[in-house]
Amino acid sequence: MSCDTCDTCGLPDDGDDRQKFDGVVALAGNPNTGKSTVFNALTGLRQHTGNWPGKTVARAEGRFTHENKTYKLVDLPGTYSLLSASEDEQIARDFILFGRPSCTVVVADATCLERNLNLVLQVLEISDRVVVCVNLVDEAKRKGIQVDAGQLEKDLGVPVVKTTARSGRGLSELVSKVVGVIEGRCQTHPHRVDLGQGVGEAVSRLVPMVNEVAPGLPNARWVAMRLLDGDWRIREALLNGELSQVAERQQAPAESFSNKMALEGSQ
Amino acid sequence: MKLDGYTPRPVADLLDQAEEARRALGEGFRDRVVESIYKDATEIAGRSVEYGERRRVDLDLLVDKVVLSPIFGLPLMIALLGLIFWATIIGANYPSQMLATGLFWVEAQGTLLFDYLGAPWWLTGFIWHGIYRGLAWVIAVMLPPMMIFFPCFTILEDLGYLPRVAFNLDWLFKKSGGHGKQALTMSMGFGCNAAGVIACRVIDSPRERLIAILTNNFVPCNGRYPTLILIAVLFVAAGFSPTAASAVAAGTVLTIVVLGVITTLIVSAALSRTVLKGEASAFTLELPSYRRPSIARIIYTSLIDRTIFVLMRAVMTAIPAGAVIWLLGNITAGGTPLATHVSDFLEPFAYQFGLDGVIILAYIIAIPANEIVVPTILMIYLGEGMMTEDISQDSLRQVLVEQHGWTMLTAVNLMLFSLLHNPCATTIITMWKETRSLRWTTLGAVGPLVIAFGVCFVVAQAARLLGWG
Amino acid sequence: MATLINQNQDGPKLPRWRRVINWLGRWPGQRDRRAVEDLLKHVHACQERGQGASAESAAGAIGWSARRAVKVIASVEALGLIRSTSKGLELTDGGTQLAVSVIRAHRLWERYLADEAGMPLTQVHAEANRREHDREGGRVDRLDAALGYPQSDPHGDPIPRADGRLAEFAGTPLMSWSSGRPARITHIEDEPASVFDQIVATGLMPGQVITVEGSTPEGLRVAFNGRKSVLAPVIAANVFVQAVPQDAAPAPARSLSSLEQGGEAVIRGFDQGLRGFHRRRLLDLGLTPGTPIRAERVSMFRDPRAYRVRGSLVALRREQADRVHIEEGSPSPSAQTGATS
Repeated sequence: MSCDTCDTCGLPDDGDDRQKFDGVVALAGNPNTGKSTVFNALTGLRQHTGNWPGKTVARAEGRFTHENKTYKLVDLPGTYSLLSASEDEQIARDFILFGRPSCTVVVADATCLERNLNLVLQVLEISDRVVVCVNLVDEAKRKGIQVDAGQLEKDLGVPVVKTTARSGRGLSELVSKVVGVIEGRCQTHPHRVDLGQGVGEAVSRLVPMVNEVAPGLPNARWVAMRLLDGDWRIREALLNGELSQVAERQQAPAESFSNKMALEGSQ
Repeated sequence: MKLDGYTPRPVADLLDQAEEARRALGEGFRDRVVESIYKDATEIAGRSVEYGERRRVDLDLLVDKVVLSPIFGLPLMIALLGLIFWATIIGANYPSQMLATGLFWVEAQGTLLFDYLGAPWWLTGFIWHGIYRGLAWVIAVMLPPMMIFFPCFTILEDLGYLPRVAFNLDWLFKKSGGHGKQALTMSMGFGCNAAGVIACRVIDSPRERLIAILTNNFVPCNGRYPTLILIAVLFVAAGFSPTAASAVAAGTVLTIVVLGVITTLIVSAALSRTVLKGEASAFTLELPSYRRPSIARIIYTSLIDRTIFVLMRAVMTAIPAGAVIWLLGNITAGGTPLATHVSDFLEPFAYQFGLDGVIILAYIIAIPANEIVVPTILMIYLGEGMMTEDISQDSLRQVLVEQHGWTMLTAVNLMLFSLLHNPCATTIITMWKETRSLRWTTLGAVGPLVIAFGVCFVVAQAARLLGWG
Repeated sequence: MATLINQNQDGPKLPRWRRVINWLGRWPGQRDRRAVEDLLKHVHACQERGQGASAESAAGAIGWSARRAVKVIASVEALGLIRSTSKGLELTDGGTQLAVSVIRAHRLWERYLADEAGMPLTQVHAEANRREHDREGGRVDRLDAALGYPQSDPHGDPIPRADGRLAEFAGTPLMSWSSGRPARITHIEDEPASVFDQIVATGLMPGQVITVEGSTPEGLRVAFNGRKSVLAPVIAANVFVQAVPQDAAPAPARSLSSLEQGGEAVIRGFDQGLRGFHRRRLLDLGLTPGTPIRAERVSMFRDPRAYRVRGSLVALRREQADRVHIEEGSPSPSAQTGATS
């Protein structure tokens, strides 16, 4: 049942996509948050489904356009967390980390935001290019639950958009915030979880060492945490230099996009 | 931790330090990390979420009272399932006939065209009466039911009802070593076993997922209903008045379905106590609040993702089957078609199981797609070198009973065999794709066949001992 | 998780014990290598208990004929892994190293099978016996890391580290423990299997706090997990305990499964027996200590039940709810409103 080639089958090569699209957006979220409704609403019928390479986990991909630019949208498996190391979680985690999406949208359920924030906070540890989409706002309203997006934005340090994906409400705002993050117009200061005494100290002892090994990594703290957890995938990525590559590319994404646009313009 | 000599010093230091630190932190590490994350989550949510007046009548609560009620829960579930079956069978009937008429008209035109072009009879026959007719049959029988069944199923899924079915039935599956979500994969299997096998992905634990994959075949799919319904109508319901007959036929099919569910539970239990040993593991199931389904999603998932997908696979396997049927019906040796030779050869073997040689042959040919079992049986009986369109019920009964000696025993065993026998080629391929294991796929294909023959053998021998059949 | 472990990757540097294995490679067949490792394990176990190992003890423990035991011992002695002394068989340095690496693999596999694969405790020992001989290419180290460097196996035995360091066997037999003093179970002997099965059936497991209340002709009267029971001498002799600080002994806890429909409580923590993937999954769903929880729905057959936690409705089976400890407490205002939504 389990895929024997798990760690080696790698991620879909998005090298081509970087050429074809103006950005790759990953869609993460808990199950039952209306994530696929958001996906369908954004992509319409411009989507195709298949499997993650070598896995029996469904993968949906589509594209959406905004101001004459086309973005690729990748629907990640719905997960409650990224820590349990189930197959779904590994796929989602690996894509957010090694797939280097230009932006990750985390869809959260407004009716039980607290539970959904678990995943949001974990994604914020991995990437700083995140937009939080608080979905099912209408349902929450029916239940008398109000979400203060401004306050949430302040606390999380990334854009927060309230949506009702089924009726399409809030989606255009979501797209423009996502594009804002991709183009670097929107600066984010993601929230970092207070890890408490013991774990926090161990992590802060490791962080300088991680920075030495892979300079420029935006998520050295998270890498340190994963190493403490015995995460073999991260360990290998450190050993074979994959993490350093992530760091290099993270440093100049905006530049590569403008290069690409310049190329297109000259043609 | 062992590292090779090429590891740069800083990396090795980092890894050593991490391992030491982890040992110092002890086994509560993961608990503490999640606790810290949730601590922040609680604080943040506390600041930004406001709970106002809730409405006096909570619809979710009311609906759950009925759906999860020990009294209404089960009847409601059966009623809903029955309603979907009914809608599928009744609703698909007319479109199926239209589709068949249309597709067979195309066949007639194609034949004419080939004749006009002066093609030899065997080429025309092979292409149009063999390959094309097999294809047309599968499409006509499969497509309309799936276009009704899958959207209905997706609506229940989107409503949030299906997780509650899993919740209600989990106890049964726990007892047989499975997972409550197996109920979902089984209901999906009513549409198509291949789709049911894919649906097993919703089960996290590999062990329970395998059990669900290996047993999905025991719920009869759309392709097998026509056989079950036809036999139920011709044999079981025949003795009743016309008004009662349809109810009796429906009851017979329902009995078969229940038998299938019981078999699933028994086989699951057997698997989990032998080759798939282990405790029923992590059961966590979220019960989402009820939601209005989104139409676009239903259309997309049910039609494009499921229907087209299943149909394409079925078409790919129906083509060779159509070709083989035509060849068997048209290659003659000593004046009789090959099909008759083979079925005569199989006859003594089949007799032990209360079936006959023709049925066994039809099932061998129908490995790619179960839809063509009945047409193949008729083809061989009627001695026409091609699959036959429906003929009237009375003459059909006459052919089966008077000319070919079918008894009640034959009918019962045919239904049992149809329920229990090996999955179709599409499902077998899907099993392989989902498990990536030749071993499990073989078990999933051969196991049911052994069970089917075993059950038929016992029933036939017992019936004959009692002087019945 | 499983995917992590099944993968066979060649570790770069050969540890010392591997060189011995390679040398053993000249031996015909896998079965002989297994025999060597089984014997080394047996001698190691005897040494730990302070008993002398002999051909008879090996034959009895491993299930060999006396002739085979003598034959294997002779060959292993020729390999320089054991030597005969007046007190019986003894491991040489090389033998100790090899034995410890086998034990490490065995105990890590037991931990994995119990925690991640959800295998019943009564089955893990036999399965680990099968898997312990395959230690190719860093497989065991990956397992160690993936499990978070566990310190003990499910029976409470310490797991040797990659460099061969092995914590001392700690614990006093429960039989000789004074009554009234709470003790923590450190170890449950997993052989003979029939006795171990009985111990598991009583619900005892390493990590639990147990108090001896007195002895009767039938056995020891004990209290654990809020229950009282009498342990037969054959069971008590196979349970080893350690002192636990008086104040650290937890007050008896209520389990979540005892919460009636509509009842509310606060989660206090999880049972020691809830580990690995199951434990992580419950934590991920937000069942962390201090979280208010409410028993909201019961399914048709009374099991599973659905609980309202952090605004979402999560179904748990009885076995899982048994392992979640709760205490009385009034939920915080936000959770209360969430609970009624």
